[in-house]
Amino acid sequence: MDSKSRYDIRLEDLTVGYGEKAVVSDVNVTLPGGRITVILGGSGSGKSTLLKHILRLHRPIAGRVTIGGHDIFNLSRKALRCLKQRLGLLFQDGALLGSLTLFDNIALPLREHTRLKEKAIAEIVRAKAGLVGLADFLGYFPNQLSGGMRKRAGLARAMVMDPEILFCDEPTSGLDPVNSAALDDLLLELKRRFDMTLVVVSHDLASMRRIADHVVVLGQGRVIFDGGLAELEATTDPYLRRFLERRAEESVGEMLTLPKLDPKVMKIDCSKYLGDGGR
Amino acid sequence: MSQVQKGMLAPVTALGGASLRLVSEMGAMFLFFMDSFRLMFSSFGQIPKTVRQIFFIGVKSISVIALIGLFTGMVIGLQTYYALSKFGSEGFLGAAVALSLVRELAPVLTAFMVTGRAGSSMTAEIGVMRITEQVDALEIMDINPMSYLVSPKLAACLISFPVLTTLFDLIGMAGGYLTGVSLMGGNAGAYLYRIDSSLDWEDVSGGYIKSLVFAVIVCTVCCYQGYFTHLREDKGPEGVSQATTTAVVMSCVLILVADYVLTSILY
Repeated sequence: MDSKSRYDIRLEDLTVGYGEKAVVSDVNVTLPGGRITVILGGSGSGKSTLLKHILRLHRPIAGRVTIGGHDIFNLSRKALRCLKQRLGLLFQDGALLGSLTLFDNIALPLREHTRLKEKAIAEIVRAKAGLVGLADFLGYFPNQLSGGMRKRAGLARAMVMDPEILFCDEPTSGLDPVNSAALDDLLLELKRRFDMTLVVVSHDLASMRRIADHVVVLGQGRVIFDGGLAELEATTDPYLRRFLERRAEESVGEMLTLPKLDPKVMKIDCSKYLGDGGR
Repeated sequence: MSQVQKGMLAPVTALGGASLRLVSEMGAMFLFFMDSFRLMFSSFGQIPKTVRQIFFIGVKSISVIALIGLFTGMVIGLQTYYALSKFGSEGFLGAAVALSLVRELAPVLTAFMVTGRAGSSMTAEIGVMRITEQVDALEIMDINPMSYLVSPKLAACLISFPVLTTLFDLIGMAGGYLTGVSLMGGNAGAYLYRIDSSLDWEDVSGGYIKSLVFAVIVCTVCCYQGYFTHLREDKGPEGVSQATTTAVVMSCVLILVADYVLTSILY
């Protein structure tokens, strides 16, 4: 088994959801090791739910998930601990611990899982925070940071143990275009330098086009595409074309033909105070 | 079964369902407690976390416990003095104040106050962490959330409750002295002598046993409700507020039930 296929992630006959209610059914895909796989789909298509099941945060309704050939739901306690220490996850909102400073948040896995001295931990934390441009904010608490900064801090924490597989849940949502591009570059660099396996859940088409080696598209409760980026761009599937070309459904236009709200139904007659501009 | 029979049996069915849910939840809470108790001794790394929790649960509760203890002692001193003076037995005031505080009021009222001050915030803290995926983040980092969040709180409660109860006892007795002796003119020597002579070790140890049991109840119920906030129908901020309310009400009810059971057994 070469170093890349060591971290192939296989989803076999996987059905995920909450309770008995399936959100995504019959998933049979392989997320290749050493590559960036983007899991694409509209809002509510089950991307994050699928990710949480791949990460063993929930049990699937049916099917299995293997990482490097190991069924993650049938691992011994020690094997599971070893596997978890090789994984990193960037949550949608960072999921930083609110009671800890940024420094302590990033340092937490090192303090829990290594015998490193505080001085060495501080060096690693500063280096990882520097990678995401947050070296000057280490003394801040999460609620003192913007959404984008929290997300970048979450990435620094996810990277602090030098994981071999990094999962990112909508890494660019809420970031400005410059920071989005910087984050994409960072993910590409991580793959290139460390041969890292990355699984990115996103609906950001621009980001997907920059970073994806492999794309899985979810829709209508199932996988509707599994293949390379070039293959996706050449697809003739109407749903995928509409998604890739960012075309809204026709029915949205019809909704705008609804009559405007009658000013007489308003509780305050704003035209008295603002003239006709107040409706 | 006909509709009429079903209608007649509906209250019984509802009662049975509620009882099963109650028993099931109590069982789940017991397992939750056992797990957090076991993890208290998992590593030396628990010590600094426990010290931080002692500061939050114990040290920060001192002022409110002192205030409540003082006024409770003052009220008991005053009421008991009036009652005893009808029989010319004012000399027993110290015994009455000390026994009622040490056996009953100090452990129960301390538990109530800590539930209101620290228990509710434990539920809210863990509940918010749950709905904002911070608990999931701990799991992903291979940090056991029970060990990181619950066990230090349980250890801190087991240490803080008896200490706070002792503080309540002492300040309460001082409060009884203030009203019964300084205000109403009772005999100071008789008050102190009766405290000394009436209190046995069984009274004191019984109070401590109660405070330890209440510590387990408050910590387990409050942490459990926060930890499983995401299983509620409302998973958002309203779910956290409902979990907090449930935790406080359930803790108070269980404290009183446990108090009755323990009093029956201990004395």
